[in-house]
Amino acid sequence: MASRNRTIIFRRYRDALKSVRAPASSSPASSLTTSAGGPVIELVSTSLINPNRSYAPLSTEDPGNSSKGALTVGLPPAWVDVSEEIAANVQLARTRMAELAKAHAKALMPSFGDGKEDQRLIESLSQEITGLIKRSEKKLQRLSAAGPSEDSNVRKNVQRSLATDLQNLSMELRKKQSTYLKRLRQQKEGQDGVDLEMNLNGNRSTMEDDDLDNMVFNEHQMAKLKKSEALTAEREREIQQVVDSVNELAQIMKDLSVLVIDQGTIVDRIDYNIQNVATTVEEGLKQLQKAERTQKHGGMVRCATVLIIMCFIMLVLLILKEIFL
Amino acid sequence: MVLVSAVRDYINRMLQDISGMKVLILDSQTVSIVSVAYSQSELLQKEVFLVELVDSISKSKESMSHLKAIFFLRPTSENIHHLRRQLASPRFGEYHLFFSNMLKDTQIHILADSDEHEVVQQVQEFYADFVASDPFHFSLNVPSNHLYMLPAVVDPSNLQNFCDRVVDGIAAIFLALKRRPFIRYQRTSDIAKRIAQETTKLMYQQESGLFDFRRTDISPLLLIIDRRDDPVTPLLNQWTYQAMVHELIGIQDNKVDLRSIGKIPKDQQEVVLSSEQDAFFKANMYENFGDIGLNIKRLVDEFQQIAKSNQKIQTIEDMAKFVDNYPEYKKMHGNVSKHVTLVTEMSKIVEEHKLMLVSQTEQDLACNGGQVAAFEAVTNLLNNESISDIDCLRLVMLYALRYEKESPVQLMQLFNKLASRSPKYKPGLVQFLLKQAGVDKRTGDLYGNRDLLNIARNMARGLKGVENVYTQHQPLLFQTMESITKGRLRDVDYPYIGNHFQQGRLQEVVIFIVGGTTYEESRSVALQNASNSGIRFILGGSVVLNSKRFLKDLEEAQRIARSSPAVV
Repeated sequence: MASRNRTIIFRRYRDALKSVRAPASSSPASSLTTSAGGPVIELVSTSLINPNRSYAPLSTEDPGNSSKGALTVGLPPAWVDVSEEIAANVQLARTRMAELAKAHAKALMPSFGDGKEDQRLIESLSQEITGLIKRSEKKLQRLSAAGPSEDSNVRKNVQRSLATDLQNLSMELRKKQSTYLKRLRQQKEGQDGVDLEMNLNGNRSTMEDDDLDNMVFNEHQMAKLKKSEALTAEREREIQQVVDSVNELAQIMKDLSVLVIDQGTIVDRIDYNIQNVATTVEEGLKQLQKAERTQKHGGMVRCATVLIIMCFIMLVLLILKEIFL
Repeated sequence: MVLVSAVRDYINRMLQDISGMKVLILDSQTVSIVSVAYSQSELLQKEVFLVELVDSISKSKESMSHLKAIFFLRPTSENIHHLRRQLASPRFGEYHLFFSNMLKDTQIHILADSDEHEVVQQVQEFYADFVASDPFHFSLNVPSNHLYMLPAVVDPSNLQNFCDRVVDGIAAIFLALKRRPFIRYQRTSDIAKRIAQETTKLMYQQESGLFDFRRTDISPLLLIIDRRDDPVTPLLNQWTYQAMVHELIGIQDNKVDLRSIGKIPKDQQEVVLSSEQDAFFKANMYENFGDIGLNIKRLVDEFQQIAKSNQKIQTIEDMAKFVDNYPEYKKMHGNVSKHVTLVTEMSKIVEEHKLMLVSQTEQDLACNGGQVAAFEAVTNLLNNESISDIDCLRLVMLYALRYEKESPVQLMQLFNKLASRSPKYKPGLVQFLLKQAGVDKRTGDLYGNRDLLNIARNMARGLKGVENVYTQHQPLLFQTMESITKGRLRDVDYPYIGNHFQQGRLQEVVIFIVGGTTYEESRSVALQNASNSGIRFILGGSVVLNSKRFLKDLEEAQRIARSSPAVV
């Protein structure tokens, strides 16, 4: 597709007109770029002086471009901090998710060892990710703002975008966990099947032996039974934990689904959202005007004026009484 | 696909190199252009957290310098004026200006002058200046569309604006496709000739550098025709899904507004009908009403199955599966309700206005012969009280267009009956239509009764019988496309402009209808493209018409023509 870049011509005109406008002031372009670092440092120092004002770092990569001449770079509002924390959490959760996938694969592989370390690692990773998602979700609620203004629209949109990210994350996590669960169950059944088989065989063979042998076999059998019981109990516990985290995430997803935009519906249309902004701002204005009017003609104001007039009349009557009596 | 993907590519390029939180500022025209191709969730993914109109942005003085502003506007003097005010007191950290068409040097000068704070980082022209509603169909949403019907002397400055907008839109299409076409126009239409001449001047003389693409590719054909050559198609009632929705309810930029129709549940009051995002719509948009009913019933049955299985939740596994599938389930639910609501409302309207009866006569008037039978049918319907006024008007117009010369007495009778029935319709609207689009003014063979070959074809079709009485009409465009495919488009009727001629076999054709296209014609184009004839057709118009819109344009034009002394 064709396009045409007019920036060079534009800059040429701009420089020419600038020199026409202010021929006396000598401010070559180079000094502007070096002084760009200045305003940023200034702002940092001022924020240290005022501890009340929250310092929010600029999200732009190169501050040099955005502050030229007289325009100072403004600090973004405080809620940008919150949104950046949530975005960082999402990033962290993603890396942890990759690690979790590796740990799952490793745990499912048949191994000679106990595999307890793997289980612990998986547990801790899952809990960490779930915790991150929960905390991010709570912080997300803080982003909502009241009142129709441009800032509140930006906040709402930031909220929506982060909610979509969180929802995707939690869905991914749950999918991974459910596949892991399924494979785990398959493995457990397999193991139990083998154990039971061995036990049964053991039982049948002991019937034919004499009692001493029976007792020895029984003990051996009991030990094996106990061991497999312990194993299954542990597996049950793990499965229960995973199921718990699945349910937690389900709850989070329910909360998030209110915020996330359904693709393909009217809410996903840019022109619909612009219209809505316009109408809510207009509505807000109408409400304000109505409130102003009711306040002006309100009962309170009328009462107050009546009382003042009455006081005045009483005062006049008092003075008259003093004069004539 | 090609038109929508061109617009999407342009928008992606606008957003890709700018990091951080952004605000996108559009004007009333570019809002439509962007909304049909890009969704709000995709914008959010690209970190565009606010979308505003350029006129409302100056109202607030709130400084948001942590946001970078991306402007995507049409290069009109109004927008330049808004930009001047913005740049004089900038609210945002950075300004990136993108224009949907070519800027004049003076405009760049004005912008450079007002950029005292030097906040503008780039000024570019990205030629997405058309609303790509369907894969092979675009529209320009020109505001005063009726101007094309009036001679130039009536309102020269507004007509110049109209032509400029059309030429800009056509130029943008070819810049987006990176082609320079050779141009043919309909001989009998002055406005088509004018637009063709101005487009040629732009592409071959004024901005020939910009349009100078690789000459090894075969040049496409741009054919500019006039709506008045086929006035029948916009007047007919439609029975294929997309065309029917537009005819009965109205589609604007792929959105349908159901609020005026009746009592609709809140979340279905405005719906989106886009073939890109809705697979069911894509499969059914060109199907006729009967088939749609069957397909929707199938869709509802499928959905009910899924809903039933969702209700049987007994184990934790079922719960987990339900929560997993919930987003899909919700989406399907929304989609099913949307289509069911649309079809229900349309059925109601069809019932109320007895449209099946009316449409049968309309199709007969448009396709078959028999003046006497037609007269009788129209008279009966005019006497029928339950037929609405606008439908009666349409019937009389269709009759008049076909049997203009055959029996003037009966025609007058119909006019009188119409006038006595609906005094709202100012007398003379039908005559105005005949003056604009009567048989003397038309080039194409609208009824297939001009040359022997067409007459023979018609007789053969009549003998064979038609599959569906309600969809037997083929727009004139279909014949035009066939002639182009066979290379038989007559030079006499559609001459070339300048001395740029066709070389080699055609591969791509853009047809622009001045005065507006209809969804029936866009369906024709889509079906033609699907038939793999080797040529790709793209259709565009100044607006997308339905019968109400076409009649409104006629009324507007008639009103102006009456009040203007220049028109005879």
